[in-house]
Formats: sequence, structure tokens, C-alpha cells
Amino acid sequence: MLGELEQVVLLATLRLGDEGYGVTIQDAIRRATGRDLTLGTIHKTLVRLEAKGLVASRIGESAPHRGGRRKRHYAVTADGVRLLRASIRGLRRMAAGLAVGLEPA
Amino acid sequence: MSAPAPPRLAIRLLEALLPEESRDVLIGDLTESWQQAGAHGPGAYLRFWHEAVTALFALQIVPDHVSAYVPSTRESRMQSFLADLRQAVRVLSRARGFTLLCVGTLGLAIGATTAIVSIANPLLLQAVPYDDADRLVMVNERGGDGRATNVGYATYADLRRDSRSLQRSAAFGSWEPTVFGEHDAERLRGLRVSWEYFRTLGVRPVIGRDFLASDDTPDHYNVVILGHGLWNRRFAADPGIIGKTVDLGDTRPVVIGVMPASFENVLDPTSQIWRALGYDAQDWACRDCRHLKMVGRLRDGTTHAAAGSELEALMQRMASQFPTVYVGAGAVVERLQDRVTQNTRTIFVAVLGAVTLLLLIAVANVVNLQLARAARRDGEFAVRAALGAGRSRIARQLFSEGLVIAIGGGVAGVVIAALALPTLVAQLPASLPRLASIRLDWQVLALVAFVVLLVAVVMGMVPALQAGRRGLFDAIRGGARSGGGGTPHHRTRAGLVVAEVALAMMLLVGASLLGRSLVRLLSVDMGFDPSGLITMEVQATGTAYETAGQVYGNHDRIREAVRAVPGVIDVGLTSQLPLGGNFDRYGLRDRDNLPTEPSRGTDADRYAVSWDYMRAMRIPVVRGRAFTEAESLDSTAHVTIVSDALARRMWPGGDAIGKYIRIGGGDDRPYFQVIGIAGNARHTGLDETVTQQVYVPERQWYWPEQTIALVVRVSGSASRAIPAVREAVRSVDPLQPISRVATMDQVVARSTGQRRLGVMLFTAFGGMALLLAAAGIYGVLAGAVAERTREFGVRTALGATPRSIVSLVLRQGVVLAGTGLLLGAGGAFALSGYLRSLLFGVEANDPVAMLVGASAILLVALAACFVPAHRATSVDPASALRSD
Repeated sequence: MLGELEQVVLLATLRLGDEGYGVTIQDAIRRATGRDLTLGTIHKTLVRLEAKGLVASRIGESAPHRGGRRKRHYAVTADGVRLLRASIRGLRRMAAGLAVGLEPA
Repeated sequence: MSAPAPPRLAIRLLEALLPEESRDVLIGDLTESWQQAGAHGPGAYLRFWHEAVTALFALQIVPDHVSAYVPSTRESRMQSFLADLRQAVRVLSRARGFTLLCVGTLGLAIGATTAIVSIANPLLLQAVPYDDADRLVMVNERGGDGRATNVGYATYADLRRDSRSLQRSAAFGSWEPTVFGEHDAERLRGLRVSWEYFRTLGVRPVIGRDFLASDDTPDHYNVVILGHGLWNRRFAADPGIIGKTVDLGDTRPVVIGVMPASFENVLDPTSQIWRALGYDAQDWACRDCRHLKMVGRLRDGTTHAAAGSELEALMQRMASQFPTVYVGAGAVVERLQDRVTQNTRTIFVAVLGAVTLLLLIAVANVVNLQLARAARRDGEFAVRAALGAGRSRIARQLFSEGLVIAIGGGVAGVVIAALALPTLVAQLPASLPRLASIRLDWQVLALVAFVVLLVAVVMGMVPALQAGRRGLFDAIRGGARSGGGGTPHHRTRAGLVVAEVALAMMLLVGASLLGRSLVRLLSVDMGFDPSGLITMEVQATGTAYETAGQVYGNHDRIREAVRAVPGVIDVGLTSQLPLGGNFDRYGLRDRDNLPTEPSRGTDADRYAVSWDYMRAMRIPVVRGRAFTEAESLDSTAHVTIVSDALARRMWPGGDAIGKYIRIGGGDDRPYFQVIGIAGNARHTGLDETVTQQVYVPERQWYWPEQTIALVVRVSGSASRAIPAVREAVRSVDPLQPISRVATMDQVVARSTGQRRLGVMLFTAFGGMALLLAAAGIYGVLAGAVAERTREFGVRTALGATPRSIVSLVLRQGVVLAGTGLLLGAGGAFALSGYLRSLLFGVEANDPVAMLVGASAILLVALAACFVPAHRATSVDPASALRSD
């Protein structure tokens, strides 16, 4: 089962496709959920996810607006997608039939 | 994009502390996010720092499992240290009351220590601010009382000429010129110095030139060097000041130099202007008018001892050459460093000791609190240990918590010290040398850092040792069940409280010893009555006062004008004021019994006075008669009044009245007939032992006094009458400068300024110590009561009365306080020797002081027992027995 933070970060990474790295992931989460996660937290989560083999990363290009430092791009692995699917499905099942406005519209 | 660079310090920190694999990427992300932000106000900086700090903490997790494989590097050790600190902050932020109490206690004590050390540092510990300062000496004549006195010019000139051990030397005397501006006149403090003064000290002007030998002659002394502050303030830092004249009323000397801002004139800290002395060994010189001081620089290779014995021999030779002039016959040579610190050393060493005691008490208190907390956390530690945390891991955590608290205390202390220091410095006498150098400098801060570290170690060590001594299972089982106070925790805590009480007792005894000394001192017979007395100095300067007659006429007019002020009872004039800090001492000879050897002579403080001076001061004439107005106006009468001590010294067993004495050494001087004997007045200080005075009507003295002190006795409040008196003096001549306006009570208070400061600081520290000790007692008792709840419940259930339970708790408190009290009394007894030279009229083992200290402690200890005792009686037996 995935942690809640891991879920959110994985979903954001999946959504961003090729463009997923620290800053964009932070943005995506903020826009979708209103939560302002710090980059440190996101980074920590990504490292943990990579250690579990749920995301893969590659070193990207450096840019002047990053102070000449390189990016690390993340992509969700097949394992990651599978686990995410199972996790969300579990959540759905848990929510099913509860008449408190959790059913998909 | 033209956004400012992200905070560099934050980036540096991240670079230094982040694990390598995350470093580039994360800093890059942070930078990018900073660049994206629209505005870069304070909010953006705050956000960046927040991101940086959380990043640091978040990524500590990463190396945890990595570090198992990687050999420990400095970086990772730093990281785990940071993790410890983070953990400590988290733990402490949950125990807010405890943390605030500890930080506050330490802050106060460290603040007090920091402030006192900042003051003492330049005063006691640093060398005087001159090159090769240990080569500088003060050369004094030995006075009739065996102590150091000033030198006359001829003495200085002979020593300078003949001494081989002095490379350079200079004489200097006080000088208080008045500088006239376009709209105002200002009295300045300055020095008249022989031309080698600055060369001897090893300093030179920053603008212009130093004095030359050719400046220092009776014809050419009309040149001055300005202090940097005066030049800034009064002459707008005019770079072209050299060659311009300064209007000093009767003279207009030429400015030849300005001293650098860094120059501290420790020999006379408040002086701001220097004039060439302009004496001539042939004409002007005198040996017996001892109004100059002499400073010298030892020749390379000469020891202090050698210089001392050479100068002693030279003075002996002079004394045998002029037996009527030299009274004590000898030289007193002292290091400049010692001279500068001699008046302040004892008091500041005592205050440093006091503040150290306070710091110890504070540390004991904080350790005590920490122990109490550790006792409650036994369970937590046991669980940690069971989960595999080694003793060193737990010790490290305790040390980290101690460090966080100690750092908090240190920061609070430095802030408190920085805030308190200006107030404290304002309390110090302005004449204290090196006041300008008092600051919180890196030396002091380094000391604070050291103290912080020490406190952290102690705070971590003691509970860790305690934890180690107890078995794990004890703790898991719920530790303190055994109650009774026999566990190591309890013994240590009780010991700490006893130590606190003992230290507080020592401080309180010290405070009451000093306080009682001050009271005794202020109640000594000063020889005059300071209440209802106003004093001020008036200077006759300028073309209106060129002849003696003009000066005396002015004095008469001032007396008349002041006498007309409503409420004024008596008015008098004097060349110097008792306790006013003047030093105007002359050798005396009995016409009919010239001393055959110098040591038989004596000297006295010379007062040139108006006939009514002694009446205004209420200095009694104990035998003979006072001056009459008529004879004091007659400059040829030559009558004098001597103090009782002087009469006994010069004519032991005989009658002084009718004797003739010569004041000063000149053989052409007249003999004065003694017409009266006055009560002794304290001249140099209330604590002085030898006081000899000789009074002469001012018109009969050899020259008119340019500066004269006015004493005015009024009915009612002295301070309220000041404006009217001042106005009366002004009405005589609006241009004459009036200075040092004060009530005589203020003059007396100022003469005891350092003692007052000592009493104030000791009392403040003693009070703080008392509170801390009380808090310690309270803490221990409260803890004990809480742990014995079951026991009290059982006792109550078995029929113990509230009274018997209160006495149970009280007994424990009294044992603590009493033990500390006895130890403290012993400690105070042992240490009071250090205070002895500061005491006056009380013995170091004064029983009253001990009693004051003891009763204060007992009182506060009982108060501290009250709440825990009350709580013990209100234990409900049923719930106490059920509570396990």
C-alpha cells in the first residue's frame, strides 16, 4: 500500500509525463490540491520511491535560471503504475457505497 | 530576468550539508522556484529559507541507511549532529515551560556575567593601550604618611636629569581651561604636560606635530594639542585647525596637533586638551608644591626593581640636600598598569567573583530542572534503550538538548548584556580609566561560547550518568516507586539544591557586608555637615581678572550676591573641597622646632578660604578662635587654623595655639601664626585614616586662586535652591564659567560611587541567587511530594493529621536549606577575606551580615516549602491508593 504523500507525488509525476522534476511536481500538487509541499519533502519522497523502484530518474540539462545546476527528471515505472492502480482501486472500494459524496460523479 | 540572487548564506549551508546525490538537483530546484516567484520581498526570502531548512531536515533521512555502508565522514557526522539538534528542538518545543525557565535562568546569569566581564576586561585584564605598556611607570615622592604623593617640578627635573634607568619621563598636572565660542563658554578638562609626555607614552598626534623641547619654556608654552573628540565636537573636525588659535579667555594658544581618535589618556581619562607645561627649573621650579605627577618609560634592559632602587637613591640624595623640603624622603615607583587599576581592582575582582557564583547557581538550577525532567522521562529512555539505542545515543540526545538550551541561554544572555551594558556603564564614575573601551567584543563572546558549551556538557553529563547508574528494568517497572528520597536522582538533586543555597548564602553575606560598610561609611563624622549645602566652582578667567585685587573683589561680590538670595544662611569660598577629589598638599615646618631629619616633618592639605568658609561648612573650631572678617581682609596678617590631627602630630602633648608655621618650602615665605584648631575633615575619602588640614585666609596666600569653590548653606532643600544661587553668581559676571554644581550630599555620594556600585551589584546578584535557590528548593520538594503521593495517601488513611504531613515536608525543606546555609556560612567565612579591603567598620566575619543572609534564606526557603506542603496535605487517600 502506498503512503498518501507517495500517492500524491506519483500521481503528479505521472501527469507531467516527460516534464516531471522538483519544481513542476511541486506546482502540479499545489494546483490540484492546494497543498504547498516543500521541495525538500518532495525530493525526499522521490528518493524513497526510486529506492522502491516505483520511479526512475535521469539527469537532465543545467540551466542559467537554476544557477547552472542540473535537473533530475522522474518518470513512473511500470511497477509504479501497477501499485498506483492497486492503491487507487483500493481507495475506491473503500469509498464505494458510502453516501457522503465520495462516489465519482 | 533580473531577480536578485537567492540568499547566499542559505545556498552555502545547503552546499555544505546536503548529501552529494541530492545537492545539485535540490539547490537547482530551489533556485528555479526562487526565480519564478514574481516579487522578491521579505516574503520570498522567508519562503526560501523555509524551503532550505526543511530540505536540510527532510534529507537527513536519506543518509540514515546509506551511512551504514559508508565510512563516517565529517559531513555525515555533521549531519547526524544536526539530526540530534533537530530532535532536541522538537523535544524541547513540547516542554515549553521547562525550556523557557531554563533559557531564562541561564540568560539572566550569562547576561550578568557577560556585562560584568565586558566592563572588567579593559579595566583589569587588558594592558593599558600603549606600546610596551609594561615599561611605563609612575614615579612618586613618598609622603609623610609613607604613601605615594605628587612631585614638585624641581624634583621631576632632577630625576629626569640624573636617572639612568628612565629612557624618557614627563611631568603633568591638571589644567581646566575655559574655551570661549561665539555664543558660549565651556570649561574643559585638560593637562599641562612637559614636552615629552606623548613621547613617553609612545603616541603621536594624527594631525600636526607633537610638543618640542622649545615649546616647553616659560616664554613659548602657548601651544596646545587637542583631543580627537574635542576637535570633532567643538571645531567641526576642521582639517586646517593647525596654526589657528583657541580662545581660552586670558590666553589664545595656537593649536599644533590633534591626537588620534584611538588615543586613550588613561592617566586622566576625561582630559581633552593638552598644553605645554612651560616651567623653568631655574625660576619657577619648586620642590614643595607637589602638584605634578610623573610618568616614565624604563630604558630597555632595566628591570622595575633596578629602576625602583635607583630612583629611591636619587630621592634620598635630594632629601639630604634639602632636608626641610622632603618629608618622607624616598621614591615610590609603580607600574602604570597597577596605578591605573589600583582603585578599581578589588571591587571588580569581588564583583567578578559574585557574578561567577551567580552563574554557578544558575547552572546548578538548570541541571536540577533537567534532572527532574529526566526522572519523568525514565520510561522514555528505557523504551529507547530497549529498542536498541545505546547509552552513547541517549547521552548524545541529552547533550543536544543541553546544547540547545545553553545556546538559547547564551543568546538571551548576550542580548540582555547588550541592553544592560550602557545603563551599567553610565553608573560608573566618569573618572574611571578605559571607560570608552568597554564593549561586547569577540573576547567576551568567546567566553560566552565557552560557558555555553560547558553548560551543555554539564547538562548532558549529569542526567546521562544518572541514567547509566540505574538498571533498565527499574525504569520500565516505573522507577521511583521506592519513594523515600534514596535514589541517585534524589541525592544528586538535593546536593545541587544544597550547593545553590550555599552559594546564595555567600552572595548574600557579601552583599550585606558591603551594604553595612556603606552605611557605616556614610555615618562617619565627616567633620562637616553636608546636608543643605550647595557647592559649585567659579573660574576667574579673562582680561577682567589680571590682578589679585580683581580676583578677590570678584570673590567678595559673589559672596554678597549669593548671601542676598532668600533662604541662604551662610556662604563661604575655598580653594578645594573636602571629598571633591582635589589634591593640594604642602609640607609644614614649625618655626621654633625645625625638623632635624626629613621624616620628622609633616604635610597637610592646604585650604585657602574666605573667613566664613568654616562656618558655612559647620567645621567646628575646637580650640582657639575662628578667622575674623577684618583679619582675613588684611593680606599681611598671616594667621592660620590647623586641624586637630595636624596639631597633635606637630605638637604632641603641647599647645598649638600661638605657634608659627611655614607652609611650603620657600625660605622667603612668611610664618603663619596658629590661632585656632579645627575639627578634622575627611579630605580624600570617607574611609581615609590620616586627615590633616591647614586653613589660610585666601588674601594671605601667596597667589590668588583662579578657580574657587563656593559653598552655600541654605535652609530647606539644597537642590531646589541651586538655580537661584547660580543666577546670583551669574549676575556678578555672566561670562565667568560655573561648573561642578552639586549638593554636598551628591559630592559625598560620588566619593563613595564605587562602593555604591559594589553594593548595588552584589545585592542584585544576591537577590537573583536567592530566587534561584528558592526555585531549586521548590522543585525538589514538589517532585518529592508528587512521588510520595501514595505514601501521603496511606498516612492520611491511617490517621495522620495535616499538621504532621506539613511538618514532614517542611522538615525536608529545612534540612536542605539548613545544610546549604551552614556550608554557605563556612564558604562566606573562607572567602570574606577577599572582601576585607572593601569593608569599612565591619569585620569580615560580621555576625550581623551572617544573620541577614541566613534569615533571608530561611524565609525564602519556607515560602518555597509552602506550596508543596499544602499539596501534600490535600492528597485524597482513596484516589492516591487507586492511582497505580
